[in-house]
Amino acid sequence: MKPHVDDNLTQRVQAAMGAHEAPLVRYATRMVSRAETARDIVQDTFLKMIEAETAPTDGKLPAWLFTVCRNKALDVLRKEKRMNLLNDNEQAIAATDPNPAEAVELGETSCRVLDALAQLPPNQREVLRLKYQNEFSYRQIAEITGHSVSNVGFLIHTGMTKLRRQFKTGGMIG
Amino acid sequence: MNLNENDPKLTAFASGELDDTERKEVEAYLAEHPEARAKVEEIRAAGDMLAAAFAVEPADGLKDYQRQAILENARIAQQGRGNLSGLQQAAEGKTFTLPAPTRIFVLRRWLSLAAAAIFGMTVGIGLFAFQQNQAGLTDRETQLASSKTEGREDKPSDTIPLIDIPKFPEDKAARPGTIPGSPATPASPAKATEDELAYPKVYDVRDLSVRVTWGNDSPDSPLITGATEKPGPTRKEKWNREAYDRIVDNPFLAALGNPLSTFSIDVDTASYSNTRRMLNGGALPPRGAVRIEELVNYFPYDYAPPKTDSKRPFAVHTAVAVCPWQPKHKLVRIALKGKKIPAAKRPPSNLVFLLDVSGSMCDDNKLPLVRKSMKMLVDRLGENDRIAIVTYAAKTKLVLDSTSCHKKAAIIKAIGQLISEGRTDGGEGIQLAYKVAAKNFIKNGTNRVILCSDGDFNVGTTSSSELTRLIENKAKTGVFLTVLGFGMGNYQDNRLEQLADKGNGNYGYIDTAAEAKKLLVDGLTGTLITIAKDVKIQVEFNPARVAAYRLIGYENRMLKKEDFNDDKKDAGEIGAGHTVTALYEVVPVGQKTPAVAPAKVDTLKYLTPAKLTKAADGDEMLTVKLRYKLPAGEKSTLMQVALKDADGKIGRQDKDFQFAAAVAGFGMILRDSPYKGTYTLAAVEELAAAAKGKDPNGYRAEFIALVKKARKLKKI
Repeated sequence: MKPHVDDNLTQRVQAAMGAHEAPLVRYATRMVSRAETARDIVQDTFLKMIEAETAPTDGKLPAWLFTVCRNKALDVLRKEKRMNLLNDNEQAIAATDPNPAEAVELGETSCRVLDALAQLPPNQREVLRLKYQNEFSYRQIAEITGHSVSNVGFLIHTGMTKLRRQFKTGGMIG
Repeated sequence: MNLNENDPKLTAFASGELDDTERKEVEAYLAEHPEARAKVEEIRAAGDMLAAAFAVEPADGLKDYQRQAILENARIAQQGRGNLSGLQQAAEGKTFTLPAPTRIFVLRRWLSLAAAAIFGMTVGIGLFAFQQNQAGLTDRETQLASSKTEGREDKPSDTIPLIDIPKFPEDKAARPGTIPGSPATPASPAKATEDELAYPKVYDVRDLSVRVTWGNDSPDSPLITGATEKPGPTRKEKWNREAYDRIVDNPFLAALGNPLSTFSIDVDTASYSNTRRMLNGGALPPRGAVRIEELVNYFPYDYAPPKTDSKRPFAVHTAVAVCPWQPKHKLVRIALKGKKIPAAKRPPSNLVFLLDVSGSMCDDNKLPLVRKSMKMLVDRLGENDRIAIVTYAAKTKLVLDSTSCHKKAAIIKAIGQLISEGRTDGGEGIQLAYKVAAKNFIKNGTNRVILCSDGDFNVGTTSSSELTRLIENKAKTGVFLTVLGFGMGNYQDNRLEQLADKGNGNYGYIDTAAEAKKLLVDGLTGTLITIAKDVKIQVEFNPARVAAYRLIGYENRMLKKEDFNDDKKDAGEIGAGHTVTALYEVVPVGQKTPAVAPAKVDTLKYLTPAKLTKAADGDEMLTVKLRYKLPAGEKSTLMQVALKDADGKIGRQDKDFQFAAAVAGFGMILRDSPYKGTYTLAAVEELAAAAKGKDPNGYRAEFIALVKKARKLKKI
């Protein structure tokens, strides 16, 4: 087998970790709740980046990482027979997050914002975070989550409409 | 287009998602529908609020050991993707030959013994260089390639150590290819079954059959108990060991051919705290992380200090005991005790804390612990002491200019306001810290920069050698450097140690508040006040009584015999009240021992062989010589002490000696030293328990608990 020397794999991995490590851990924690499990998932995501010859080396990398991460998290959830995150008809359940780091004091507004977010269905929550926290485009979100682009648009629209109303009523905007 | 107020396209527009064509369409629509426009504005505002709230959320990252595992794998993969095939082959249970390192070390053992000692030193330096090199294995490959003497084909898979990724439960611990347990083991190919191999699985998200258990979901998960995060129970003991196996244990040397043993003293204790942290976390430490002298020196011993009227800064004691792990051998202990300086007589201090506040420091066991440690220290200082705080992350900041500790409140406030942010750039920080220290220099006082870091010490625009030169030069002006490591994995350990070395200071690792107290409160005078610098030891063994000897530990402190009298050569420092212990395992004349290779050197043609002098006739086993300089001095002073031979029975009564021996044995077993013989952790535990003594601070009890943990992990 011809050795194929990949000259800047280490640098790319390091750069990828610098940029995406925390967002990925956060993303994974949203899905599986336990921080340690989430970290394992993210570690494996980066290992996959090293091992998979098909890992993108360009601007497609972030979405790819999130996709891999999401799939691994789903596997974990499936293995543990937890509730199916993809079911849109699920009751809105506040994110269970026993992460002690969350106990850090957020400003009152941020607190209320995140509370409002927590009341949305998991699907909408996920795409809203991908959009406003991770700054992915609709297309990238579609790639990551497996939804169609128009479905992504619909989920974001529904979620944002509800939030908009809540924030307005709460006097936070408008 | 047909839009309405409730169209998802409006939301997409508000979030900047649409392409030019669609955007223009929406803009046109909005121009005519003010209510829709208002809604869009509201959505934009809501989006901004969301983004703002997300930005404030704390960002957890991976643990250090996880990052290191990832980077190590990247480096290995970078070497050659072809390796994956080699590893996959191995994974399929095919045989493979041992990686080159083993052959090298086996080969080296049979070199002339004098060369072996030098080899140990060069390897130590090579290790340091290796760790500096981002491309990691490239240097090592070169190192190996240049020392290959056999005609072996250069298969990439041969030179790449197998990396064990933590947490795959089906990977078993045994990894063939590490340094053989005894010099006599020839390098033989090992048959590797799937069970025995640790290999990275190349897996595919679509292949759901390859699933493993994730993390630690037990009820005593730290998330629930709030305990310190553990590395995870499935982390294998041999993770990444290969990368640190560059410290070769000092071999036995024949006294006749090598009568002189020269080394620099060391009071660092970081290796013990680091090892303790790993064992408490449920993992055996990598071999290279265990520096035996730092384990032994961690514990306080009851050595007699110098007499009050003595001009000397420390007292030297020697003793002999039977060697616990090899009763036919003896153990010689050289003990130094620095003079104590009562806290009240402490000279005024000018301290500059140089703190790494980069993002990686926000873990509980890092910046919060740094703050706690600093508060503890400030509490002990007085109005004649000054403290300044420099932080470095993305920016370098003088958070607190040099302030008298009279103003404790202001200092404590500044400490409380330290937050972590951004990436690390240490070079500027160090320069600023030294500047501040120089500006507030106290003549005949303690002037020190105290660097607190998690080891992620990126020097940014300053090159590594510029930095060491700076530190060395500053040390000459009397501003010393103490390095305190927090929360880090192994990776930068050697580097921080080197910095402390160059800076004439000490290196400690703080993993808990208790350790902070030991170093900064109980050990305050020791940490802050240097009483002697460049302290070197040279032992001359009497070949009439000693057949062979071996220095236990201090591998990266060895000096050439000429360095002893060379005042330009840097060596270690002793702080007030510090103890330093060095142990030699000695083979008495008359004992046949396979430990020393027979010297197959030809008789010299132009010189007659060395003859024993009259002095050798007496009952002296060895003479210990020491050279030291006073902190502000440039010329060294010589001290000399002879040790009479003894059967070692008295040494057996000395609890301190026995305990130190137990600790040394522990270190040897953790390092899988070729010289541990049949010594077991059970024997270590027994010896330590018997030698526990009063143990006022509980350090010895803690050690015994660690031995128990190690036994559990090794399943023995």
